[in-house]
Amino acid sequence: MNLTSLARKTFTAVPFYLALAGVAFILLFPFYWGFISSLKYEVEIYDFTGNFLWAKNPSLNNYVTLFSHPRFFGWFWNSVSVSAITTIISVVISVMAGFAIARLRFRGAALAGTLVFITYLAPRTFLFIPLAQILKDWGLLGGLPALIVTYPTFLIPFCTWLLSGYFANVPVEPEECAMVDGASRLSAIIRITLPMSLPGIITAAIFSFTASWNELLYSITFVNGDQNKMLTNGIIGAFSGGDFFSWGPLMAAATISSLPVAILYFFFTDRFVSGITSGATKG
Amino acid sequence: MSASTRIQSTSSGSRIARLLHKDSSLGPILLSPGFLFLAVMMAYPFFYAVFLSFTDKQIGAPASFTGLENYAKLLSTNLFSKTVVNSLVYTLCALALKFCGGLALGAMLNRPFIGQRVAKALMLLPWIMPTVFSTMIWSWIYHPSFSIVNEVLVNKLGLLSQPLPFLREESWAMGSLIFVNVWRGVPFFGITFLAAIQGVSTEIIEASRIDGANPWQTFWRITFPMILPVVIIVSLISTIGTLADFDLPFLLTRGGPNNATTLFSLTAFTLSLSSGAIGLGAAVTMTMFPVLVILVIASLVSLRRRQQV
Repeated sequence: MNLTSLARKTFTAVPFYLALAGVAFILLFPFYWGFISSLKYEVEIYDFTGNFLWAKNPSLNNYVTLFSHPRFFGWFWNSVSVSAITTIISVVISVMAGFAIARLRFRGAALAGTLVFITYLAPRTFLFIPLAQILKDWGLLGGLPALIVTYPTFLIPFCTWLLSGYFANVPVEPEECAMVDGASRLSAIIRITLPMSLPGIITAAIFSFTASWNELLYSITFVNGDQNKMLTNGIIGAFSGGDFFSWGPLMAAATISSLPVAILYFFFTDRFVSGITSGATKG
Repeated sequence: MSASTRIQSTSSGSRIARLLHKDSSLGPILLSPGFLFLAVMMAYPFFYAVFLSFTDKQIGAPASFTGLENYAKLLSTNLFSKTVVNSLVYTLCALALKFCGGLALGAMLNRPFIGQRVAKALMLLPWIMPTVFSTMIWSWIYHPSFSIVNEVLVNKLGLLSQPLPFLREESWAMGSLIFVNVWRGVPFFGITFLAAIQGVSTEIIEASRIDGANPWQTFWRITFPMILPVVIIVSLISTIGTLADFDLPFLLTRGGPNNATTLFSLTAFTLSLSSGAIGLGAAVTMTMFPVLVILVIASLVSLRRRQQV
């Protein structure tokens, strides 16, 4: 490489890396500021003297406050169990529906695909008022079962949409071979096609779990009582309210909650990207 | 098909096995749980919402039919007209910014650079992180007295003499809300646009370069038209999500100050839960319906076009 081409490369590379750094700064600075604030003691949080971009006496005090809240593990358990149950229900139902739409030829298959797409587009805030009335009629309003029966309304359309796209690209031949060898249709699907589709199914499960975990509107309208709260809602309620904000523990919660998803998506980015180009969630 | 004749001959009379074998019966069987569920939990609530919007239903009181009274009431209230204007401003501004930012980010990430994999995962963080907590960080950044941005701009750099009224003044509050929405949505736009850009065949790009087109021309004349179907679908889906957004205004501003940042979902929430006017709240959500129908039809049309390409 001669000197002029090196100079030209540097000339175009510098603005590029500067722009990249600028974008990265805007996107990531809030996380840094949340993280640093979470390491500060209450007094220091409001103190901008000296090097305020760093914690002078870094401490895990806020994390201790967060975890030692008497309800923390109860809320954590609520979130884990509601998210796990709704994920299992939604993924099982969606695997069946997605497989039918993508792989089976029957009257109404195309219409079913269109209907799934329409329900997937319907925003989850659109029906919360009648859903609350229906839950009340059924005697489910107030407890966690209210969330277990309503979360699949946005999870099933999304997972079915995602999975039908995935099943359409899984080869048909292995399943047909198994049937020629005497396996029934159902066992060929379960033993051959589903294992081949496992990456898609795992993606759908991860999306469902995180979507349930992060849901806000249903979890504040359909559930009563402090002990029934989901973790996110519980933490917000415990450490803020009106004009009172306990920033340290809130920033600790923000930091803790972003860690697992960051790690998960670091390994999953590419699969995740191919998943969302066929479907998408929040705006 | 040989497999099907074998099943029929070996399991004589086993009608269930045959039903589970043929496409024409297995299809509806596999679909039925999902569709039954969606019929009970989406179609039924939808008609219930239409019904409620024509009644004076209050929390804890029986509903009686009042015709279009709720809609007439909404049209005459200041809260509703503010909601409509806010929702339009919020949706259109946020969409335009996410669209442009997403294109820029996608084009940027398409160029190979050191640490690309880590950068891609990190830049997705605003989008994948629980909105509840990322919004808490923004509440802290927008704090009326202890905002880091104001601290730096006013006290450290001396660029401003007054702190910025992020959530205190009406137009500032809307701008701050839009900024957070864009911050959260841009990674999603960028990553999906990137995937679409990488799906464009390199041969076509190479050919246009050989023909003497500069990168800018290549992008707008070759790449952009080819990624347009994905771009349109992502934008439409995002428009629906933004129009119906509840989390951001609820967490960041509670619709204030002076209802300057309340959107359809939050207004419906406030009316039905805080004031107990369930019929009126249902009417607010139903006013979103015509817009949603248009957006859904547009999505279906562009999806069909994309599948034909």
